[in-house]
Order: sequence, then C-alpha cells, then structure tokens
Amino acid sequence: MPETVIDVSNLVKSYSDLRAVDGISFSIKRGEVFSLLGPNGAGKTTTVEILEGVRNRTSGDVRVLNEDPEKSRTLTFKLGILPQDFSFIYNSTPKEALTFYKHTLRASGDIQEILEMVELGDKATTPFQKLSGGQKQKLGLALSLVNDPEVLFLDEPTSGLDPRARRNIWNVIKTLKERGKSILLTTHYLEEAELLADRVAIMNKGKIIDSGTPMEIVERHHEDDNLIIRGDGQVERDLAAGGFQFQRDGSYIKLRLKNIRDATSIINYLSEHKTKFEDFTLKRESLEDVFIRMVGEIEEDETE
Amino acid sequence: MKLSRVSAYFSLHARSYLRSRSALFFQIAFPIILILLFGAIFSGSSYSPSTLVIQNESPSTVSWGVVDAINSSGLFKVQLIPQNENLSNYITTNSVQAALLIPSNFTSNLYSGGLGFVVLKGHTNPTVATADYETLNGILTQINFRASNTTQKLVLSSQVAIGNTGKTIDYYVPGLIGFTVLSTMFNMVYTVPNYRRERLFRQLSFSGLTKSEWITANMLFSFLMLVLSDVILVAIGIYAFGASLTLNAETILTSALIIFGGLFFFTSVGILAGLVSDNEETVSVVGNLVMFPMMFLSGVFFPLTFAPAYLVTISKFLPLTYFINSLISVLDYGNISTVAIQIVWLLLGSAILFAIAVKLFSWKQK
Ligand SMILES: Nc1ncnc2c1ncn2[C@@H]1O[C@H](COP(=O)(O)OP(=O)(O)OP(=O)(O)O)[C@@H](O)[C@H]1O
Ligand SMILES: [Mg+2]
Repeated sequence: MPETVIDVSNLVKSYSDLRAVDGISFSIKRGEVFSLLGPNGAGKTTTVEILEGVRNRTSGDVRVLNEDPEKSRTLTFKLGILPQDFSFIYNSTPKEALTFYKHTLRASGDIQEILEMVELGDKATTPFQKLSGGQKQKLGLALSLVNDPEVLFLDEPTSGLDPRARRNIWNVIKTLKERGKSILLTTHYLEEAELLADRVAIMNKGKIIDSGTPMEIVERHHEDDNLIIRGDGQVERDLAAGGFQFQRDGSYIKLRLKNIRDATSIINYLSEHKTKFEDFTLKRESLEDVFIRMVGEIEEDETE
Repeated sequence: MKLSRVSAYFSLHARSYLRSRSALFFQIAFPIILILLFGAIFSGSSYSPSTLVIQNESPSTVSWGVVDAINSSGLFKVQLIPQNENLSNYITTNSVQAALLIPSNFTSNLYSGGLGFVVLKGHTNPTVATADYETLNGILTQINFRASNTTQKLVLSSQVAIGNTGKTIDYYVPGLIGFTVLSTMFNMVYTVPNYRRERLFRQLSFSGLTKSEWITANMLFSFLMLVLSDVILVAIGIYAFGASLTLNAETILTSALIIFGGLFFFTSVGILAGLVSDNEETVSVVGNLVMFPMMFLSGVFFPLTFAPAYLVTISKFLPLTYFINSLISVLDYGNISTVAIQIVWLLLGSAILFAIAVKLFSWKQK
C-alpha cells in the first residue's frame, strides 16, 4: 500500500470572525493527483498555503511528508510550489530565476530542458515584466519543477492559459504523475480535474462537502440521465400516447430516465410506431453539472 | 544563514538591478549630476577680506595677544565691541558678517592646561563664512605654532558648518555621500511593501532563502554600489573641482565604517517604514515623510547657515545630520578622534535598529 504523503485532519483556519477553513480532513497517497475543487473563496488556497508552510493554521493537524510544515525548515527543498497569484522580480529573466532556485535548492536539473517543457524555451532571457500573463504562469510552473520535487502544490496552474497551452500543462502534469509525483491541484476547470485527478474533494465555505474519484462523485450526485430526441409534434403525440413524461426544449424533446437502459425501450417504442425523428442523444451529467448543483444547493439552503 | 544562498540572491538581485535604468540613475548618475551642478555653481565664489567684530570676554595678556595677531595679519579689519554688549543682538542689528567671541573661560582654560576655544559667529553666506573661517584658522595656527614651546593651544570653533579649506565643494562631497547612503533607505521603503504586495517574499521563501539572507544580500549589494558611487563622487570632487579632502588609510577606513554604519541604519529605517505602508499611496506618503526632512534638514544640499534656529534644532534630531557631520570631520578635517564616539553611537544605534527591523520583518502571512 502506498504511503501517505499529505495528511490533514480537522484543519481550521480563522481570519478574525471568518472560518475560511472549517475543520477539513483528507489525505493524499504517494503518486496520487488530488484535486481541490470549490467556488471562489471556498478556502482552497488557504488550505494549500497551510500545507506549504506559508500560512499558520488555527487548529488541527497537518503532515506533509511526515513533517509539520509550520515548523519544518527543510520541507521547502522537497516541495514544488506554484502559488495562485504567482509573480516574480519584474526585471529578472526566466533563466536567472531558474538559476537562482537551482542554486538555492541545490538541484541538478537542466534549466533549458525545464523551460522547454513548459514552452518557455524562447523566452529564457526576457525580463519577467515583458512576459504575457500565460508565460508568467508557465514560469511559475517551471520554478516549481526545478528541484524535481516529490510533492507538488499547483494552485490553479492553467488559469489564464489559452486552450492549447492548457493542454500542454495537462501533459506536463500527466508526465509528473507517471514519474510518481504526488500532486495537489486546485482548479476551476472541472474537466481538468476529471481528466487529471485520481480523487477530488469539493470544498464550499471552508468545508469538504464530498470527496472521491470524479466517477464516484458523479454517481452519487448526478440527477437522472436524459434522453434527448430531436423531432416534431408527431413525436410528442406518439410519446404522449405511450404514456412517457417529457419536456419540450426548443427543437429538442427531453426525457428523464430513471435507468439509462430505459432509453432502449423508448427508441424501440418510437420505431415500432414508425415515428420519424431526426436524431437522439443520451446525456449523462458531467462533474461540472454535479458540482454546480452541489454548490448551488448549499447557497439556496442558506438563503432560505 | 547560508552563504551560498546569499550569493545566489546577490547575483539575482544584482542582475535585475543593473537592468533597471531608474535604479542606476538614482544610485550613480543622480549624485554625479548633483556634484557637477554644485561644483559648477560654487566654483566661482572667491574670498575678499572683511570686517571682523571681536568681543573679548576674557581680557588677559594672552587673549589680547590673539586679537593683536589677528589685527596685525592685515587679513581682517578688526572692530572691537565692549564686553557688556549683547553680541547676538549686535550681529543682527548691524548685519555683521563675522564676529569672533573670546569666551570668558578662554584664559582660565588655557592656564589650566586646557584648550582655548574661540567662537566664530554671524555668517549669512556660506562661501564667505568658509573663507573667514579658513583665514582665522590660519592665523590661530600660526599663533599656536609660535607658542609651541608651551602646552597652550588655541582652537577655533565655528557656528557655521563649513569645511576647513574655504571651498564649498569640500562640504558637498560628504553631503552627497550622505545622499547616496540615504538612497538605500529609499530603496527599502519602496521595495519592502512592493515585494509584500506582489508576494515575492513568499515566492523567494520557496527557494529556502530566509529574510536575514535576503537583507544581507541586499546590503552587500548596496554597499558595493555605495562604494562605487562614493568613489566617483570623491574623484569628481577632487579632480574636477579641486576639493581638498584628507585621504589616507585611516580616514578612508573610517569613512567606510561610517558609510557601513549608515547603510545598516538607513536600511533598517527603510524596512521599518516599508512595513508600515501596506498600499501604494501610503508607500509614497511614508517614503516622502521619511526622506524629505532628512534630505533638506540634514544639510545634504545646503548648510543650515541660512536656516532659522528651529530648523537647526530639528536637524539635531535627524540621524543623517550626525552621519554627514562625522564624514565632514573625517574627510575634511582628517579628524577621527572627535567623531569616534559618534561613530560608536552610529554603529550601536544601527545594530539595535537593525535587530528590531529584522524581528518585525515577517515573511509569513498572518
Ligand atoms: N489574508 C486574509 N485575511 C482575511 N481573510 C482572508 C485572507 N485570505 C483569504 N481570506 C478569506 O478566506 C476565504 C478563503 O479564501 P481562499 O483564498 O482560500 O479561497 P479560494 O478557495 O482559494 O478561492 P479562489 O477560487 O477564488 O482562489 C475567503 O473568504 C477570503 O476572503
Ligand atoms: Mg485560491
């Protein structure tokens, strides 16, 4: 069984009267990509920064590679950190920045290679202030890789990147995973979490409201699957005659399915009645659909 | 503290600094422009003999001997005023350029083997004052020389802070060195809040760099830049404007020590000022609040001869005043012993302030 690299139990962080993190627990195993999801202000960055040793916690227990990040002086050397609002000395170039980290962290990686990996090879000598937003972000990622860390904290690594660059970062993260790195990833892109994360935790208002594999979360929270048929009034009349419940939505007719197999009997029924329809699709909810409803429900509960 | 990290940050910092035109301008070019400007403005000033009012409050053979010597030098038109006259009032009502006071304890001091101080008062024009001072000093030196078989010594003290050679440039060289040291404070006042806002301290801490290492690397670099710009200032002062500075191993080392102390002092003030300003507006308010009084009241740009008494009093509370006065003593007069105590205070105060600044300067978020 792989060892636990990050262990958090009953973590609380208060800012005066706000409990930004309100008693959360989770653990991450070696080689795992774990994603913290949640709306703005959920407490993701606060959690991550406590694990990085940048912030002090109010209470609870935190272990990163068996050390307390608040007390350890050596932990930094084993971590790779890309903070959410990454910035650097505005007159320094990526090459100088990487050289600095390479020296201080006594790392042996090849700087040009790391720059190529994040697609910054041709910007090695451009001062930070002259890099684009996405290029700055890539430098942040490059810096987190210098010491070939065992554990990475990536706080919204792809925000502000164009779709192609985002896919490139995904590939970097996949490569890191293949090399056995453990990664704590926060993101607002649910498809990113679905694609990269072994497990996710959904945070809202400082609490983890559910966690598991993306599949498990969808399984637990998805509403009924839908069969969507494109067709005219005849389709509606035939469906009504057959006793099916449906909703008209523009040119689409939407049927809720208790069981995904029910789709077969509906299509069969329409074929038997020789009802003409243009096409149909089966729609299962994505992590994003589930996420929005989970977070939204809580908001509604509170306004009641 | 790890030297390898200090040197890694030093290199990172130096490269970004040298890439910044504005930083280079303020550190190197600006002081040079100032010294060229001051040098040019004051190079034409020359000396013409003037009237010297003398009040002798300590009538004795020795004191009258001094008055005679001054008179017979032909360099001043001596005008005696009675003992019961209020000298300060007399100076104001008659717009006296230069007045020499032989204080009441002059004779007794000399007879008890001490130093006989005389005081030069009443100047409104620094250039003339310098010249008067120099002339008088010359005469007194001669008297001292003639009387060298005794232990008696005459010392001229002046209430105008002017160099001893009569050239205004001598005064501006230490003043501008003060300015260059002050600019390290300026750097910190802006860097600290800026780095905090951009969360660069957090980013740097990921490299294992500590705040002490950050400060050390910064100061080492500042010290190198100071040495560089101050050497240029001194060279221009001497070669372009004929400043006569006392440069020997001792005065150079002492000056370096003073500059080093000043660097610690003003870096610490800069860090502390930077810590209290958390947004861009307060940065410039705090920056100007700390910077301008020091710049103008410590005598960086002009001697406080012109200033009303209350400004002179304020200047006595500004550390830069002592810093510059120490440099003037050492570089202009070659006088190390009288400022030794001041230097010790400077270093001691700097060390304490530095410790406070480092303590309060936190890299972590609350
Ligand atoms: N230094 C601070 N002082 C006071 N409150 C803070 C501080 N930092 C964060 N907070 C508050 O804590 C809560 C959680 O913030 P956090 O940055 O952890 O959220 P997040 O989940 O990372 O959000 P986002 O997705 O927008 O990055 C927010 O309500 C925020 O206002
Ligand atoms: Mg965040």
